[in-house]
Amino acid sequence: MLNSQQRDALRELGNIGAAHAATTLSTMLMSNIEMEVPEISVVDISKIHEHVGDELSALVIFQITGEVSGGGYVLLHIPKNSVIRLTNAMLGMTELERDLTEMDESALLEIGNIMVSAFLDATATLLSIIMLPSPPSLIVDMPHAAFQTILAMQEFSEIDQVVIFRTELRSDQHKISSNLFLLPNKPMLDEILSMLENLMK
Amino acid sequence: MPGPDEPTVIVGIGEFYAGRNPMSSIGLGSCIGLVIYDKDKPLGALAHIMLPDSQGRSERPAKYADTAVKFLVKELNMLGCRSSSLAAKICGGASMFQAFSGNLNIGERNVEAIRFHLKELNIPIIAEDVGGIVGRTIVYNPAENGKVSIKTADGTKKII
Repeated sequence: MLNSQQRDALRELGNIGAAHAATTLSTMLMSNIEMEVPEISVVDISKIHEHVGDELSALVIFQITGEVSGGGYVLLHIPKNSVIRLTNAMLGMTELERDLTEMDESALLEIGNIMVSAFLDATATLLSIIMLPSPPSLIVDMPHAAFQTILAMQEFSEIDQVVIFRTELRSDQHKISSNLFLLPNKPMLDEILSMLENLMK
Repeated sequence: MPGPDEPTVIVGIGEFYAGRNPMSSIGLGSCIGLVIYDKDKPLGALAHIMLPDSQGRSERPAKYADTAVKFLVKELNMLGCRSSSLAAKICGGASMFQAFSGNLNIGERNVEAIRFHLKELNIPIIAEDVGGIVGRTIVYNPAENGKVSIKTADGTKKII
């Protein structure tokens, strides 16, 4: 589904986007952010559970809109304990053994909006197009259940393999881990790949 | 007969397993975990169904409600189960986000399709845990007479 050159081009694109998202997170937390090299995986739908599990997490989910065909989603995934440490770091609180509250939800939507806008802005600028995030949908649940529901939607439902782009962003100082996922459907992936090819000519 | 240490088979999206081992599907959202089991023997099957209608496709029969029901029954028949001894349990079919447009109520449509196809084959639904807005992880162990345990992300557990 992807040759090695396409994989490298996508990784570079994602790298630039994720670096911008990391910068915004770093500003909000006033801490260094560690960023892993993005993973590009071609995953059969039956193996999604090997990439995302069922541990309680927050997912801030955006549909990609703008000058790009097809459909795609950007997901910010943060495990529950990291959500609590993230809100605590932002608001100067310390209590760790607590349930998620509206305060966490507001913080997640805020952070998600800023990080994902930065991610999409940077990738779109490189491609010389406009990409915008939809209003976010916040889910506090099992990541696999959210992915699976997206894959059952029309834009994905006829395919058995998906390309998943993932970058891990961490604040080791605050012990916060998060993942940025990009999930394009086939028409969007094809269009992004052909734009990248034109760039490299 | 398998002991309690028998490995659990993880059934991914669009997959199935039929046999004696414990079986599990992780993180069902709008998908359905369909368990069909033999009331008289420690044998059963699980399909992780994603969509209501195969529209004539024959590959991945466990992915679609219409093909999955028939397929599981056939697999269980081949393992020696009589159709008249079979019963079903259904889990999943949640509606996880309202905000996005594509494929509205897919969970609900999955549930309806499965009920319809089970009825066609005269397989009774003994219990179900469907709908709602939360994801589910399910485990079914044929050694425990059709018991299905369900876990949600907040740690709540129940058995149907």
